[in-house]
Amino acid sequence: MNASASPTRSLPPSGWRTRDIVVTAVLGVAFGVVFWALNIAWSALAFLGPLQNLFYGPWLIPAVLAPLVVRRPGSGIFAEVVAASVSAILGSQWGVIVLLYGIAQGLAGELPFLATRYHSFSWPVVVAAGLLASAAAWLLDWAFFYSEVAVATQLVVGALMAVSGVVVVAGGSIFLARALREAGVLEGFPGPEGSAP
Amino acid sequence: MATDTTPGSAPVAVVARGLAIAYPGREVPAVSGVSFDLPPGHCLLVVGPSGSGKSTLVRAIAGLVPWSVPGRLEGHLSVGGIEPGSSDPARLVERVGVVFQDPSSQLVMERVDDDVAFGLEGRRWPRPAMVARVPAALGEVGLAGFERRRTARLSGGEQQRLALAGALAPLPGLLVLDEPTANLDPVGAAAFGETLGAIRTARAATVVLVEHRADLAWPLADLVLALGSDGLPIAVAPPAEMLSRHRAALVDAGIWLPEPVRSGPPHVTPRPPPSMPPPPPGLPIAVAAGVSFGYEPRRPVLREADLAVAPGERVALLGANGSGKSTLLRLLVGLLRPTAGTVRLAGQDPARLPARRLARLAGHVMQDPERGFLAASVEAEILAGLDATERARAGDVADALGLPLTRFGARSPYRLSGGEQRRLSIAAQLVRSPLLLALDEPTFGQDRRTYEALVALLRERVEAGTAVIAATHDLRFASDLGGRTVRLEGGRGRPEAAPGRPLAPGVVAP
Amino acid sequence: MIRASSRADRTAGSPLGRASPLVTLGVAVAWLIALATTSQPWPPVFVVVVAIPGTLAFGRVAPGDLARGLAPLWLAALLVGFFNALLSPANGDPAAAVLASVGPLRVTVPAAGAGVALALRVVAIVAVGVGWSRVTDPTHLADALAQQARLPERFAYGALAALQAIPWLADDLVALREARRTRGLRFSWHPRVLVGLLVLAVRRADRLAVAMDARGFAAASRTRYRVIRWLPVDALVAAAGVAVLAGILALR
Ligand SMILES: Nc1ncnc2c1ncn2[C@@H]1O[C@H](COP(=O)(O)OP(=O)(O)OP(=O)(O)O)[C@@H](O)[C@H]1O
Ligand SMILES: Nc1ncnc2c1ncn2[C@@H]1O[C@H](COP(=O)(O)OP(=O)(O)OP(=O)(O)O)[C@@H](O)[C@H]1O
Ligand SMILES: [Mg+2]
Ligand SMILES: [Mg+2]
Repeated sequence: MNASASPTRSLPPSGWRTRDIVVTAVLGVAFGVVFWALNIAWSALAFLGPLQNLFYGPWLIPAVLAPLVVRRPGSGIFAEVVAASVSAILGSQWGVIVLLYGIAQGLAGELPFLATRYHSFSWPVVVAAGLLASAAAWLLDWAFFYSEVAVATQLVVGALMAVSGVVVVAGGSIFLARALREAGVLEGFPGPEGSAP
Repeated sequence: MATDTTPGSAPVAVVARGLAIAYPGREVPAVSGVSFDLPPGHCLLVVGPSGSGKSTLVRAIAGLVPWSVPGRLEGHLSVGGIEPGSSDPARLVERVGVVFQDPSSQLVMERVDDDVAFGLEGRRWPRPAMVARVPAALGEVGLAGFERRRTARLSGGEQQRLALAGALAPLPGLLVLDEPTANLDPVGAAAFGETLGAIRTARAATVVLVEHRADLAWPLADLVLALGSDGLPIAVAPPAEMLSRHRAALVDAGIWLPEPVRSGPPHVTPRPPPSMPPPPPGLPIAVAAGVSFGYEPRRPVLREADLAVAPGERVALLGANGSGKSTLLRLLVGLLRPTAGTVRLAGQDPARLPARRLARLAGHVMQDPERGFLAASVEAEILAGLDATERARAGDVADALGLPLTRFGARSPYRLSGGEQRRLSIAAQLVRSPLLLALDEPTFGQDRRTYEALVALLRERVEAGTAVIAATHDLRFASDLGGRTVRLEGGRGRPEAAPGRPLAPGVVAP
Repeated sequence: MIRASSRADRTAGSPLGRASPLVTLGVAVAWLIALATTSQPWPPVFVVVVAIPGTLAFGRVAPGDLARGLAPLWLAALLVGFFNALLSPANGDPAAAVLASVGPLRVTVPAAGAGVALALRVVAIVAVGVGWSRVTDPTHLADALAQQARLPERFAYGALAALQAIPWLADDLVALREARRTRGLRFSWHPRVLVGLLVLAVRRADRLAVAMDARGFAAASRTRYRVIRWLPVDALVAAAGVAVLAGILALR
């Protein structure tokens, strides 16, 4: 009997292989550690005032990078929540609130990919993901930390975060996904055929 | 071991007919044409030169291709009547236990008992059976009482035994082991071998084993499968027959054989002492004087260790797992700073040297090759950071180490076999000509040919005046290197007289 | 036979350690949301006064351990308070009393007050977060997520296994920088190092996933070695949490 099977046929019913779960989670953990290190740097940037928000991007990358790499519905939110939990477990100046952030940002970053039913990973979709994730973070910040700040200032902050969402989140995620693919460690994940990154 | 009340499976038969496995994106299968019949409870030893497809084959037998490891399976393979690749992966995996080479990335849970239980949970053992089985499995591998220890805090040898406990706990019908002793010191490897011997004697499970330590592995085998460098089988036969009828072919393929075989032309027999170039007189190139070091406060790894290496000298650094060999090498080449004492490399403090200058003086091959890769292709990896004259040498070094750039140049360093990765990391250092080469376990995963090529290359370097210090568990290499031997014990180096050699000067054993 | 003497084991046996992490997490989140609704200085002070001794007494966390966790975050609080006071719009109010001035910069009393209140809020958030992280064992959290919150098990335990990556990541980072150095490449903090770190993380994840599959993680269902149940201590912790929550709201 010939026992040949292609890897795509071999997905368990849920669509998530162990490899998908663990790679997504490890990406989340790696970024959680990065968050934890950056949290301190963030406070030191407070002197920049609203300009600080240009550096918001790194906290949102997992939400966009994981869908680009793993290409499974839910990977963005899973990676972002794991990353947030890790930074909470390691200790963060935003405490366990970061879990709420993780859920909201992950969900927002995930939406554009879901909208294409995880068929397209082209630039516009990735940029939309970066922007939505930034928007989620912006709204939460407004509610939790800047509720007394004037709306005009909020709009400036939002614009800066949008810039970060496009450049750092979308651009950075595409760069990292490409670097991983070039290094040859993403074999067996759905390939980049037909779509940009 | 299995009783009526405990789950688990009886030993299974493994049958292969014209089996071939190809990696995605590669036309030529990594292994092909493999056929054998392994009766239940017997032990199959898979041997072959580095890169011949041993790991690939045993992963397929363990039911991991293509479900967990991407790849294409052709031909017929049946494990206890189940066909990996076409059936539900969970059904096969339920009967198989696997131990890989790298212990740390096989451990899943934080605590030892949770880790052993992890495989039982996946096989749906009832809780009382798990509670009874976990300590028993730990006892079988000599880890009784370790239940609540943290897996990350165990030594390499303990971690590997824990991985074996995790594989044995569900009483698998088939045990698959891929170079399980590669990272163990000789004592740990022997203990591991004894545990395997007990399993084999009890016929408790069918065993499929890949192991470069011939003296440990061959006595365990009921059947030996030898693969050639092209991934095609040379022969399948019981060990005695293999050694009597196919010896020439095995020697030819560079496969290690048991007994002090040294078969074929005496490529690496240590030269008689007179022809050994004596270390040129003069200042030592590297000196550690009264060096102490610890990664964590109150847990010193090295205590006032002394070591001096003369230009052109060869030193084999031996010692148990965790004795601090890797640490000492990293100190010598300035990657770590001692907490007390001094390290001098060509008279300077290596930890303060700028990178470019350090790379001229010293080369370092780290223990885990994969951690040191900097580039996305084999060629770029070898060329990283080289100047023009060194670049010209890249092709020759790669050829000599069995990684011809025509075949390997464009491949990803992460998609090589374990032995190939080892040689790549060595090649990336041997293209330069530093005054001191510090090699951390340079020979693991090598077949006889690549081993001999490596020893020959090192010899050339030594003759040109390079000093070589190598941390190793491989006693054969320690003697083939042909210099003196230092054993790390209790955080200090102790000189050890190699058989027939006088005690070497240069080490002060306090 | 089983060694139960280490500090982590003491915490695991404490009331906060035995309570479901879902309960402690719920309490912590509720407090912090309540804090976010006020800019008064007293509620955060109250939370700190409850959280730190509570963690020490009912979580049996070693004081030194807690202090180490808090140390870098005090700095964050100081910085946040300082810059908010410095950049507050209240500094522009010519009528306000001046607390300090250096050249053209001046800090008014209301601005300083706002800065202190903000810093206190950060301290409270930090204290609760560090306290929670010290009494929470990741394995216990994953068990609670799988068994009590009934989240998909494969995800909960997959994430738990991935936590084992934290020590590797640190070691991998060191190794990559060393590899650059021994090849004569300068800038051992080159961005490539971070890419390399991610590459290694994926490789490790791959190997871990293979090892997990080889131990039956792909199976549709699992049995449980560690069974956790709702305990009386969960009700106690929840009740205490609600009492403190009421205190926060009352002080607002
Ligand atoms: N993931 C991969 N993708 C593509 N090719 C691979 C991959 N892993 C290994 N190979 C190639 O397949 C061949 C067989 O590799 P395998 O790891 O099975 O060898 P091996 O016999 O176990 O060698 P070693 O003794 O060095 O561990 C090698 O040529 C190797 O370069
Ligand atoms: N990065 C690290 N952080 C903390 N401890 C470490 C680190 N690296 C090594 N150690 C510890 O230092 C001791 C010496 O380690 P080292 O790697 O030098 O031993 P080794 O002799 O090379 O062992 P092996 O034979 O297993 O390679 C061990 O107890 C090890 O657990
Ligand atoms: Mg191999
Ligand atoms: Mg070592």
